[in-house]
Amino acid sequence: MNSGLSPHGFRAPYDTSRRGFLITMIGAGVMLGYARSGLAAVESLTKETKAPLSPNELFEPTIWYGIDTNGVVTVNILRAEMGQHVGTALARIVADELEADWSKVKIVIVDSDPKWGLMITGGSWSVWQSFSVLSRSGAAGRIALIEEGAKLLGVSPKACTARKGAVHAGERSILYGDIVARGDLRRGYTNEELEKIPIKTRADRRFIGRDTAHSLDIPSKVNGSGRYGLDAAIDGMIYARPKIPPTRYDSKVIAIDDSAARCIPGYIKSLALDDPSGTNPGWVMVYADTFTAANQATDFVKVKWESGPSANVSERNLQQRAAELIADPKGGALLVDDPGVDAAFASAKRKIERTYTTATAMHFALEPINALAFEKNGVFEIHTGNQWQSAILPILAKALGRSQDKIVMRSYLLGGAFGRRLDGDYAVGAALAAKAVGRPVKMVCTRADDMRFDCPRSATTQVVRLAWGDDNRIAAMDHHAAAGWPTATIAPYFQGKDAKGNLYDPFAIQGADHWYTVGLQRVRALNNELADRTFRPGYLRSVSAGWTNWAVESFMDEVAHAAGIDSVKFRLSLLDATGRNAGLAPNSIGGAHRQAAVLSRCAQKAGWGSAMPKDVGLGIASTFGQERGMPTWVACAARVRVNRTNGYVTVEKMNIVIDCGTVIHPDSAEAQVEGAALWGLSLALHEGTEFVNGQPKDTNLDSYRVLRMGDVPEIDVEFLSSIETPVGLGEPAVTPIAPAISNAIFAATGARVRHLPIRPQAVLQALARES
Amino acid sequence: MREMASEMKSSSNRASGTDWKRTPKTRRVLVGSLLAVFLAGVVFFALAWRPSIAPVARPVPGSFPADLVAKGEALSAIGHCAACHTAPGGQPFAGGYALHTPFGIIYGNNISPDPATGIGAWSPEAFTRAMREGVARDGSHLLPAFPYYAFTQLSDDDIKALYAYLMTRPAASNTVPANTIPAPLRIRALQEGWKILFFRSARFRPNPSKSAEWNRGAYLANALGDCSGCHTPRNVLGGEEGGHPYAGWLIEGWIAPALTDTNPSPVPWTQQELFTYLRTGVTPLHGATGSTMALAIRGALDLPVVPDSDVRAISLYFGEMDRASARANNGEAATQEALASSSLGSVQEHDPDADLYASACMSCHYNRAPTPLAARPELALNSSLSLPEPTNFIQVVLNGVSNTETDNNTEGAAGLVMPAYGSSLTNSEVARLAAYLRRTRTKSPPWNDLEKKVASIRREGPAYH
Amino acid sequence: MTTFDLNGRTVSARSPDDTPLLWVIRDELGLTGTKFGCGIGFCGACTVHVEGRATRSCITPVGAVAGARVTTIEGLDPQGKHPLQTAWLELQVPQCGYCQSGQIMQAATLLKDFPNPTDQDINAVMAGSVCRCMTYVRIRKAIKLAAAKMQGGAHE
Repeated sequence: MNSGLSPHGFRAPYDTSRRGFLITMIGAGVMLGYARSGLAAVESLTKETKAPLSPNELFEPTIWYGIDTNGVVTVNILRAEMGQHVGTALARIVADELEADWSKVKIVIVDSDPKWGLMITGGSWSVWQSFSVLSRSGAAGRIALIEEGAKLLGVSPKACTARKGAVHAGERSILYGDIVARGDLRRGYTNEELEKIPIKTRADRRFIGRDTAHSLDIPSKVNGSGRYGLDAAIDGMIYARPKIPPTRYDSKVIAIDDSAARCIPGYIKSLALDDPSGTNPGWVMVYADTFTAANQATDFVKVKWESGPSANVSERNLQQRAAELIADPKGGALLVDDPGVDAAFASAKRKIERTYTTATAMHFALEPINALAFEKNGVFEIHTGNQWQSAILPILAKALGRSQDKIVMRSYLLGGAFGRRLDGDYAVGAALAAKAVGRPVKMVCTRADDMRFDCPRSATTQVVRLAWGDDNRIAAMDHHAAAGWPTATIAPYFQGKDAKGNLYDPFAIQGADHWYTVGLQRVRALNNELADRTFRPGYLRSVSAGWTNWAVESFMDEVAHAAGIDSVKFRLSLLDATGRNAGLAPNSIGGAHRQAAVLSRCAQKAGWGSAMPKDVGLGIASTFGQERGMPTWVACAARVRVNRTNGYVTVEKMNIVIDCGTVIHPDSAEAQVEGAALWGLSLALHEGTEFVNGQPKDTNLDSYRVLRMGDVPEIDVEFLSSIETPVGLGEPAVTPIAPAISNAIFAATGARVRHLPIRPQAVLQALARES
Repeated sequence: MREMASEMKSSSNRASGTDWKRTPKTRRVLVGSLLAVFLAGVVFFALAWRPSIAPVARPVPGSFPADLVAKGEALSAIGHCAACHTAPGGQPFAGGYALHTPFGIIYGNNISPDPATGIGAWSPEAFTRAMREGVARDGSHLLPAFPYYAFTQLSDDDIKALYAYLMTRPAASNTVPANTIPAPLRIRALQEGWKILFFRSARFRPNPSKSAEWNRGAYLANALGDCSGCHTPRNVLGGEEGGHPYAGWLIEGWIAPALTDTNPSPVPWTQQELFTYLRTGVTPLHGATGSTMALAIRGALDLPVVPDSDVRAISLYFGEMDRASARANNGEAATQEALASSSLGSVQEHDPDADLYASACMSCHYNRAPTPLAARPELALNSSLSLPEPTNFIQVVLNGVSNTETDNNTEGAAGLVMPAYGSSLTNSEVARLAAYLRRTRTKSPPWNDLEKKVASIRREGPAYH
Repeated sequence: MTTFDLNGRTVSARSPDDTPLLWVIRDELGLTGTKFGCGIGFCGACTVHVEGRATRSCITPVGAVAGARVTTIEGLDPQGKHPLQTAWLELQVPQCGYCQSGQIMQAATLLKDFPNPTDQDINAVMAGSVCRCMTYVRIRKAIKLAAAKMQGGAHE
């Protein structure tokens, strides 16, 4: 299988070739990190410069940290903090090798700057991408500190050890801050030298794999001091709320009537925004002195639009279009394309085909989208929480008609993201709003605006087929998936290409390329372009793995039952780690055997095979997230009770077993898995809307149901012990939940549901079909 | 006129309950009123004339004994005089409270002892005549928004005490705006017609077969508190229906529930429950006060100057009226039944109506058995869910309950604020919420036409705000 | 103009009486720990205390709290060490953190009414407090931990 799923370099680990590692003195401290170029590293050490270069000029901004004369270690974080405590996780990697005193470790989440290269937080990539380089940069710092500390103590470096922010030689010791103040730490390492620095073995680690050290961002989140995008303010700013046009694209403003709004005290004016980037066509911005006034006025302002062609699109239209695309054997991209699949189906003794669908699902990040924008000293500043500054900066440049180096995005905590803030379209609206009035503007969307302007997870349709050969062995499997493609909209240059050069969105198919050995295989990705035209399809926590696995794992259950085999045994028999499923070091080492391991353990813990009370069933699913290149192996067994009278499904317990390689922080990791699993549960049973007249039908919690406290079942999470490369954690546990629940409903009642979310009505219909 | 006006408003626009049929329409009311005007004007005009009583110099405050003033203060609180005679944020008794009626606004008079704009020039005789006959010092008729038809029962001593209390208040020079009642209704002489039809001047007569406490309660409730002003049904001209005292009525957009044994609260109103409610505005077994009732409690019956014994007496009177003791043993069963349903909707339900309740209401209204908390009004025990009509429920959901301490804006129990869900919920959602709670929290039959009723109450805007 | 007590100091709001308390607190009085989530009183992110009781500030007009005591997350405890806050830290409850001010304020009322909360009490009273990161498991644990601390007499 195509393990390098996509050519997009942005998801590869940092390329450390052609660079050096530099330790240099800056002001009252020392900076350590990867230099912008090996040459710069050498030059800065040889050149006597009176004014030291700024760290930004010297270092790869993603990988540098500083130590001041008080011994405070400040780690530069280029990732968005949205609940994953990413800054803490990355700082722990540095601190572990550096032997830092955790009470003196700080993180700084930096603002955007085009010269800093790619800024993205997504794909559960952050730790996986950074682990090796951050470990080595910590280790290089420690070695330098020991060398200088030894000199200052007048002993040999070999007699010294580093521990908790100090260098120790027998009874004597010297603090890192004192070494920074008194020693000469300047060093330059070539990449080769750096690669030779050993990193710690598991036993020596002080932070990684242990629950020592709390997350640095958490205190500000229990006392109200954390600053989110919504909290950004500047003197003299006015407020604005957009009037969202009737269609996402091609809406044109014909007339604005604000006569009714003029009675609102504080109302300023309403303007149609001109957006040269074409990101938010047809927006009208309503300005006022306060948000309340802007909010009220927006409801009073009447705008006449000429709608775009998606004005009548419904959820049914979207699903129909997906089905048409799948029915046509031409089109799409083939991720896996073994020769002979069609022949295998043609000659098959037995075949099974099933269709699985999912409804449009919304992000509903609790902080509605917002941004503060203004121009200051020739630079346009946009203050907002965002996950992918690199993608939106060029678009902002086009919208504002200025170069990217005259735009900066200031970073804030994100009040939930789940992929919503990968699409920075809202920043464009705020920037244009500020530009139009020539003063600072704080754009705040209401919840309904946020929902109507969301980039939802597209409705999806999948058809999965399987053929048995003569000897009752599986001969072939064929998987077709049609959905809106986020990457085609947000960053088309990051799309993948199949063997024939057809473009595809890897984040709208990953997961369908599973690790089961099923004979000849075909995986086809189809772009539901009607979805792309109706809304901006978005990345939503676990992206395609959140729905392709719904099909794969429901289907595996159906196939096992059709074949009369226990569904765990059936899966294990296919997880043989042969051929394309053998795995590749380091990221997917072990391959399908690791999926088999989580599945077996999960089945064992959940009491697979034991008798269940009436209308109670155990369902299981095992998956890998987020992609074959960096699989985190997950299994979930869900125990579910079905009420045959009203169709209510009650999830009583979820057992989750996970293998994500090395666990950096077990407690944080467990929190991520709990959150992801419950997100999966919310999507399985509750979350879903439908498009009506080109707009999502549900715009707030009065009708968009999300998981609440009382919906939470008992959860048991187990990490399989591993020393392999750490992979992703924020999303993978979403992926097995829905199929595990659906399989449990089947186990409890014999009724099969094939649409997400699973509503009571669908359960009743399935029960009726069954009886 | 407060009562009559409200009744007209309600009967013309509101859907009301089984006892409060929708039949009288504005047109009928007007025809009736014109008829009354005609009768009063042509046949009884002469009867309407009352002499002016000569002005006096404002009595010196020090001339009243302190204990008489104190007695008057307590009586004034029980009669909640300040409610209608004080503008929001204004000086007490300086008048200016605006009573909105479909005919226009009636402003509470200045009853501070300012000689020019208040009642400082009124002699005790003039004051007594006003209280007992509804006639001002200058001989003009007062509108029955002022409940002289109740005060007529007051004893001489109590009128004296009230006079002493009011005359010792700080004088406020405040000319109250003119009422906006149109002719012919504003012709004061024509009030004689209403008086002839509905008013009898008579003192309170104790019922010798009842205890002194009961008689004290009856006196305070009927002669001073004017409880019937809100809780007794009215005929089309705003006269009380003698046959159904305290059978409940619709007033200023709210249902004043029946105080008889037809009161639908699951737990009977015992003397103790009534006492707690009238003293604090809230009881665990009935919930918190709202609407105009808050005016009778906060800054009135809840004041320390009002003796416990008087509130107990009122409570005894109504506790007997609703036959609470005969029904008292139902209370515990009703409470436990209510609490058993209190957590419905909190776990893994897939009922969108239950979701509305769980999301918006449950965090404040949930109670744990065996005892509901006063700060968590238990909806299953609350009359707003068990009344024949959803009026009160809809009012509270749409408009919330505020906590302003200014007497005239007091709405609920002290410290209990409820947000206004009017901007959050559509008419259909309020209707679903009402239907869901009625279905799951009471044994009463479903309410009809809920969505229409929500729309109608929403259209009229917050009643009593 | 509405006068009320905010975290122990008397404040007067210029905003019209019908302005939601949330925006008065955040934009006029500058305390941003209270958050805006749904704007319809369904998510709990805007929860503050009015007279010591959890109240959704996004749909409570400022005029409704005239003369009342209003407490926000910033004023829950002078040192930010209310037993709920220390329990939240100890169990590392927050993820994105946006809802947590509201969760803590709601939980404070829960513990006031039910010092030994059962799971049912927690389900019901916290039902209106949405956490999109789904930290519910830890919120429940932290409430119980704080309850235990408070039973030990550590606070109030």
